[in-house]
Amino acid sequence: MFFHIILERNMQLHPRHFGSRLRDKLVSKLVKEVEGTCSGRHGFVVAIMGIEHVGKGLIRDGTGFVTFPVKYKCVVFRPFKGEILEAVVTMVNKMGFFAETGPVQVFVSNHLIPDDMEFQSGDTPNYITSDGSVKIQKDSEVRLKIIGTRVDATEIFCIGTIKDDFLGVISDPGAAA
Amino acid sequence: MSGEEEENAAELKLGEDFVKAKCLMNGEVSLILDRRLEQLQQLSEDPLNQMPQVFEKSLQYVKRFSRYNNPDAVRQVREILSRHQLAEFELVVLGNLCPETVEEAIAMVPSLKDKGRGLDDEAIEKMLTDLALIKSSSSSGHLLKKLGFGLASL
Repeated sequence: MFFHIILERNMQLHPRHFGSRLRDKLVSKLVKEVEGTCSGRHGFVVAIMGIEHVGKGLIRDGTGFVTFPVKYKCVVFRPFKGEILEAVVTMVNKMGFFAETGPVQVFVSNHLIPDDMEFQSGDTPNYITSDGSVKIQKDSEVRLKIIGTRVDATEIFCIGTIKDDFLGVISDPGAAA
Repeated sequence: MSGEEEENAAELKLGEDFVKAKCLMNGEVSLILDRRLEQLQQLSEDPLNQMPQVFEKSLQYVKRFSRYNNPDAVRQVREILSRHQLAEFELVVLGNLCPETVEEAIAMVPSLKDKGRGLDDEAIEKMLTDLALIKSSSSSGHLLKKLGFGLASL
């Protein structure tokens, strides 16, 4: 889910930037360093909305750099275990399918796909019910529940299920004419 | 594995960092990211190159999955859902997924049925009907597009 939160970061600035444009430089450096990154704690930082507060700068001993504690407002995307959300299928194989929800990738294993759906290989691999009424293929929109998240240095990866009530395909790309 | 202490959205356990955070519906994020994109385009001569992948994917996602096409509808949804004593997280999940029946709503947001909430089926039903009203009046644009596609393929 997307959240609007206030985060804090210590920004280091080289003395060459001290002048009338100090604050602008701080902001642009912040944006460059933080936007698009991911942390396990806060999720993906999608966009920085603005600066909440810039603290007093502290000169670092031995160098001329100054460290400013900056509080900024941003939009983050952080998936939670137990959360139900909608995603777009990006790849289907016999182990299950991958889907994307915002910047996060979710994997749904075939064990967590309803038993009445079977894998069909071919040009467009897909999962399909025996009567052909429900199909999951690349670009399908599905509603899934996140049952686990894994965090590494720069990414969050999730495992999901569509086996519960009210989960599964929302729409088919190019519904059969 | 990271040491997340029993985070579980179904029980509204979001961890300290997010307890005070404001949750955003896809429609709201869409408006915010549009504004940010404008800002970025004004500032740099080469906006396409500068957009980080995270931003682009998020923008595509919210545009695709936002059920309300205009800012007024989005605002109305938040307003209506705010009247019903919901937690921020619950409000956004309902606003994003637009369940049609009480059963579906409880499946999407299990915490609605926590003991002591005082939210009975009738109240939930009223909430969903109010939501459906906004959806029908705002997403006609989307519906027209679908119809247009259908006609073109005849």
